[in-house]
Amino acid sequence: MAATPKSYGLIAEFLTPADAMHAAEKVRDAGFRKWDVFTPFPVHGMDQAMGIKNSKVGYIAFAGGVTGYTSGMLMIWWMNAVDYPIMIGGKPMFSPFGAFPPCYELTILLGAFGSLFGMLFLNRLPRLHHPLLKHRRFALASHDRFFIVIETADPKYSETETRKLLESMGSKNIEVVEE
Amino acid sequence: MSSHSSSTSSQPAPFDLSAWRNVPTVLMVIGGIGAVAAAILDPKHAAFSYLTAYMFFLSFGLGGLILTILHHLFDAAWSVPIRRINEHLACLLPTLALLFIPILINVLMAGNDNIIYHWIVLLKEGKPDHAVTSKYPLFTVNSFVAAWVICGVVWTVLSRGLRKYSLEQDKTGSIECTRTLRRYAAVGVFLFAITLTLAAIMWMKALQHEWFSTMYGVYYFAGSTWTTLATVYLIVWLLQRQGPLREVVREKTFYFLGSLLFAFTVFYAYVTFFQYFIIWNANMPEETFFFVSREHGVWFWVSMVIIFGHFFGPFLTLLRIDVKLLPWVMIPLASWVWLMHYVDMTFNIMPVMFPEGPHVSWMDFACVAFIGGLLVKLFLKSLNAHPMFPQKDPRFAEAMDIYVPEGKLAQAVGARAAKATSGGKH
Repeated sequence: MAATPKSYGLIAEFLTPADAMHAAEKVRDAGFRKWDVFTPFPVHGMDQAMGIKNSKVGYIAFAGGVTGYTSGMLMIWWMNAVDYPIMIGGKPMFSPFGAFPPCYELTILLGAFGSLFGMLFLNRLPRLHHPLLKHRRFALASHDRFFIVIETADPKYSETETRKLLESMGSKNIEVVEE
Repeated sequence: MSSHSSSTSSQPAPFDLSAWRNVPTVLMVIGGIGAVAAAILDPKHAAFSYLTAYMFFLSFGLGGLILTILHHLFDAAWSVPIRRINEHLACLLPTLALLFIPILINVLMAGNDNIIYHWIVLLKEGKPDHAVTSKYPLFTVNSFVAAWVICGVVWTVLSRGLRKYSLEQDKTGSIECTRTLRRYAAVGVFLFAITLTLAAIMWMKALQHEWFSTMYGVYYFAGSTWTTLATVYLIVWLLQRQGPLREVVREKTFYFLGSLLFAFTVFYAYVTFFQYFIIWNANMPEETFFFVSREHGVWFWVSMVIIFGHFFGPFLTLLRIDVKLLPWVMIPLASWVWLMHYVDMTFNIMPVMFPEGPHVSWMDFACVAFIGGLLVKLFLKSLNAHPMFPQKDPRFAEAMDIYVPEGKLAQAVGARAAKATSGGKH
């Protein structure tokens, strides 16, 4: 089958997690950028094998947490000490101690939002369709098969060379995925 | 002791620590002389300094004990290679119990002007106030001694027992040892909680006997375990570098220790803040005076050091996932943790004697040097007397990330352990 401009990438099927992991190491070392591994369950060490760096989602979560804390403090200070001061129990109009529990909750809330929505954003989700979903064997990725997909968008991609590389890793079934 | 030679070439060379060999002894002797001199020159100040150093070092024994207990309770695999270190730390407790004797001498024999616990002075003068009488029979001199005996016996039985069966398993490999250890841990965790709370209340909180806080025991526990985790990280790193733990300690060992340290950073802040917050919110004079006196003078700035140095600094440092594996961050952080825990103990104890602010004295250094030198000496002695890590633990293969079909387990573990065993001294 000839590569068309419409092809999404090459999908290679593996039978064991070890095969997939060793193959992933080789794909990583070959310098590919736009590729992924699909397994029915998390495989320990796969991140290293794929050369994936620590996710950036932590920074978004941190920013969310800081926003939650500061906005909570500002809100309570504004409402209790400026906009509508009420004296309660002889306490100061505003104290970081009294304001802490709600601000702490807001830290967690916006931190969790940051990690959830940051994850969705970085993963480009939600997404209604993906070319892999119509590939007939890909459903096995949630059953007992392990897949490596290298996208045509990768600068190193070449229909023949990449196929050879994947064959050399022992994949028995390599197909082109159409867009 | 023979030095360990390993064929692993990727590892950096061990440090030459031979120049440090006599440091613990020197510290112990000089510190001991200093502490005795202090006790003669200024018995009251000396007793306060000694109590601060004592509560600081007690943390390591109690922390080692709870880490050993938790290991067995959770049937953990990852902590098998570092368990011996926790066991040895816990086995400092019998000595630590004896090291409390100078405080007992202060309570039982010092003149009324020099006794550090005001409630005991009130009792001896025969005019206990309501805050003492309402805490009868716990707040009597007999109970004070009894609490010490109970803590000492419980800690000795638990720490010795937990190490004894662990060492027995090194020889026999019997699964019964693991089962016995679990029973020790199951009973021990309750005894641990009770005795730690008793010690924290009777020895530290009772300096201001009018005060009460239900969170004081867990507050001391949080700080203690935090300090111990940093120490264990340091010891494991050093022992890996020097050789004895090279074959058995993994990246995950450091990652988990670092994560626990991070967790206890937050836990300490949580407990400390809510102890403060509940008292602040209730706003009752019989509780607030504890914090009012600690916001007085220079102590206010010490409390700021605790907020930013005990919590925010370590918290923000440990927040990143990769930091927990970087020795050049974690090792200085461990020393920082010691300093912060000592400041925390000072903040709890010293305002009773010096209401205006901290009063750093040579007596503080003498007491820290004496107890620290003695404990390091004992720790190194036990470390060198026994295998550095459990030899035939049933979870050992799992800790090493090796899958062994049933039946081959014993052989595999034996072979691995034999390869890695070393009597090296660091």
